[in-house]
Amino acid sequence: MELLSILTPMFFTLVTAGTVIGIIFGAIPGMTATMAVAVCLPLTYSLGLENGLALLLGLYVGGISGGLVPAILLNIPGTPSSITTTLDGYPMTQNGEGERALKIGITSSLIGGLFSLAALYLFAPALADFAIKFSYIEKFLIIFFALTVMAALSSSLLVGIFSGFLGIFISLIGAYDISRGGNGELRLVPESLEYYLESGFSLLPVLIGLFGLATILIEAEQGMKEGQSLSGVKIGGKPFKLSIFKGQFVNLFRSSAIGTFVGILPGVGGSAASILAYSQEKNFSKTPEKFGKGEPAGVIASESANNGLTGGALVPLLSLGIPGDSTTAILIGAFTLQGIQVGPLFIGNNPVTWDAMIIAMLVANIVMFLVMVFAIRHLAKVVTVPKNILFPIILMMCVVGAYTINYGVMFDVWTLLIFGLFGYLAHKIGLEIAPFIIGFILGPSAEIYFVKSLESFGTFSIFFTKSWIAGLLWVLIAISIAFSISVARKKNKTENE
Amino acid sequence: MSFDSPFHVTIDFDTSHMIFPTIIAIILGILFTAILITRGRTMLATITNGPWWPAGIDHMRFFGTLVLTVIYFTAMPSVGDFFPNTGLGFYLCSIPYLFALSTLFLHERTRRTLLIAGANALIAPTIVWYILSELFNISLP
Amino acid sequence: MTGLFKSIAAAAGFAAMVASPVLASAADLPSNIRLVIGSKSTGGDTYQNSAIVAEALAKKLDINVKVDAVGSSEAFKALQRDSRGTTIMIFHDQSYLGNLYGVRGYDDIFDNYVVGPTVAINPGNAYLVAKNSPMQSMEDVIAAAAAGQRVRVAIQAGGVSEIGFSALKNAVKVTHPGAEENIVPVNTGSQADKNQLMFDGQADVINGSVQANEQFTQLDADDQKAMRFIWLTAREETIEQANPEGMGDTTRDELLAFTTPNVSVTLDGSKDFTFDKEFFFLFNKDMDAEQIAAIDTALKEIYAAGDIQKTQKASFFIPNYKPQAEAATYLKAKRDEYRHVIDAIATN
Repeated sequence: MELLSILTPMFFTLVTAGTVIGIIFGAIPGMTATMAVAVCLPLTYSLGLENGLALLLGLYVGGISGGLVPAILLNIPGTPSSITTTLDGYPMTQNGEGERALKIGITSSLIGGLFSLAALYLFAPALADFAIKFSYIEKFLIIFFALTVMAALSSSLLVGIFSGFLGIFISLIGAYDISRGGNGELRLVPESLEYYLESGFSLLPVLIGLFGLATILIEAEQGMKEGQSLSGVKIGGKPFKLSIFKGQFVNLFRSSAIGTFVGILPGVGGSAASILAYSQEKNFSKTPEKFGKGEPAGVIASESANNGLTGGALVPLLSLGIPGDSTTAILIGAFTLQGIQVGPLFIGNNPVTWDAMIIAMLVANIVMFLVMVFAIRHLAKVVTVPKNILFPIILMMCVVGAYTINYGVMFDVWTLLIFGLFGYLAHKIGLEIAPFIIGFILGPSAEIYFVKSLESFGTFSIFFTKSWIAGLLWVLIAISIAFSISVARKKNKTENE
Repeated sequence: MSFDSPFHVTIDFDTSHMIFPTIIAIILGILFTAILITRGRTMLATITNGPWWPAGIDHMRFFGTLVLTVIYFTAMPSVGDFFPNTGLGFYLCSIPYLFALSTLFLHERTRRTLLIAGANALIAPTIVWYILSELFNISLP
Repeated sequence: MTGLFKSIAAAAGFAAMVASPVLASAADLPSNIRLVIGSKSTGGDTYQNSAIVAEALAKKLDINVKVDAVGSSEAFKALQRDSRGTTIMIFHDQSYLGNLYGVRGYDDIFDNYVVGPTVAINPGNAYLVAKNSPMQSMEDVIAAAAAGQRVRVAIQAGGVSEIGFSALKNAVKVTHPGAEENIVPVNTGSQADKNQLMFDGQADVINGSVQANEQFTQLDADDQKAMRFIWLTAREETIEQANPEGMGDTTRDELLAFTTPNVSVTLDGSKDFTFDKEFFFLFNKDMDAEQIAAIDTALKEIYAAGDIQKTQKASFFIPNYKPQAEAATYLKAKRDEYRHVIDAIATN
């Protein structure tokens, strides 16, 4: 009965408001779910625990979901976890299927969200016990597995892998982060830049530089031609039908499961979820050559995985007191502000709060779906806004996003410009952006887990002998690499014929 | 990092920051060599035969965007310094930047299009500044 | 659409705002203060504590105080750039411990900034073992090291997390000279990583906190995740000030069993080592002394009123206001004591 007294109209209003604000944050390039939660955290103090959580969880679900809108319509990932959504979502928009792509993405998001919520509700403690079987070694192998995606995403295997490793290399610039276990020493930094590059380049400014600013520079170079709106985009196109999901059941299930699972592992990083899911879908697909050209299955994989993350990341938070990603790291603040401990006893000690959170997540997912489906017609029109109006606004929002991601560091704004130029040049000389950014995202984690594994065990053989999980991961890595090579071979053949 | 035997390594924490960058640099070197070997000839041909500067690019819009952006980024913190912690550096610089960029991108600069660009340059930063800086109390330059 | 109308109204009233001077009057504080903190996390103790103090200050002085979690290196840079009093900083003992441990980016704060006042203590710094570990107490740990057994302690290098480790090593050196080399660090990062090292059997002792690890100590011994407190570094009188309920299912009296004198990690054979993680202000060296005094006085009045203490205690912080000058002298003495510990184990 206590639960019913919490489920007031206020509670539902807050979830709804949170979800809507979250979607808006997620949909604006440069603004993220993490930022939405951080900004609203102080408000929760006066709201009380359950109502505060209702708002924050709404923001979380909305923020992660909103990222698909600019990814699909503008080729700019609204949040890091929607990078792989751009790969097929934007080509669909260019083929005049923007609205359809959005609907596919939203439906997949809903399914991924609900899947992970069910996993959270039913198996949280068991999943947490499984997650702690992943030591440095298994985590390194997971990252390695995710890195093999670089190959799957490359149009030319060699150049793609080179771009990916370049991404890793650039991600290592700056100090070997003490707060992750490093020794705090600088590397790869020229002496004159030490003042600025102490913490290296931040992910978000790099991301929006590569995808946002670079795109605008390329358009500027071409003189902003083709009328005044985005290149040949039509609204409408093929109608969306639920039948698109026929035959996608395995994809949805696998991608949601991957998303949930990556969320459960603290320290692996949320973006790895959609990257892994996307590449697995491509590897298992009968028509891998269609990916990157507007294949709905790619959008489905990416979006169901990144919403699968939402429930997954709450598992270690609520059963170990450890956040699964950057957004849940801020959620911890909401609990401590209210004097509530999160740890292995949380669910048992606070059954009402726990149920309220599950209901908030459920409502947030449903509200997200309804709001976005209704808003789609209007959202999709963003592509008809003249470029000379749209692009300056996007640039301004990118600046805001870059500046605010670390709570006000001007160098992050310059990072945006540096990587905007880099993205432009990369485009010119044929470097591949998708593997580059994946390398950049996963590089620091790969380093920590690799070096720490050797530091603890002092032998390379440990990567093979640590556990059955390590063995299984090696099998997956081998399969992933083999698939990529065979796909590349096939492609070479058809090109040569 | 020192190798005790083919598989065994000892890692010195104080120098452990160089291990991974070194490995990645070696791999990058190998990959780069491989690219040179497989495609070196075509790459060399492009460099020697192709024009040094790509033809047909819109110099005014491309460099205009870059120059305006650099001015915008430089001006923001300086202007913001006059009004510390108010986000006004962002607000006051965004208006001219948006207007200049919108005008630069325009092909037909009619009264109407300029008016739209001007209105947008006023309204968009105002909304963003008001919501983020005033309502949400987010730090802006 | 109300939002739009409001912003139009704001734009209209904007001219007036630009015209209004930044400073109400010369010796007064700026109307918009940015409080940077040495942590990047908005879910952590530094942010939480700074938010409490910032809110109280803003109310008291009728100004805006905005907390920005920019992290230590950016916070120091921002503070160094601004001597007008529009940027101030809150951080904890890490600010000088980083310097003592020689971490890049940490200068001597007593030379480069105005230090103090202090505002609060986080008394939770703790060391734990696995519940089924053969070592059940700090005594066991020290005895094991003395007997030649390697004791691996998971810490984050270069600061608050390492100081207890250094103290332990020093205590072993004092009581069993030569055996201190058996206390070895496992350098790692977050609390998650430290816990994980214990679950994996890669660390015998981990650094943790009452707040983050208390629930793990309540688990059954057969649970892989079960832990046991063996040492709280806080002073006895610090914990004594906590609310009697303590944290979670561990009462204040139970917590006191893990502090000195019940657990002894000796400093020099006679006195026990203690460490309280204290939060304090840092100001630009050239900031107007009257402005600093204004903040100091405001804090004094806030603490005299007595409401902030309740808020802090509810979040397991121990209120600890010391005026600026007193705080600076106190922290400098504290720094010198720890320097002694770190030097002692460095010159083996």
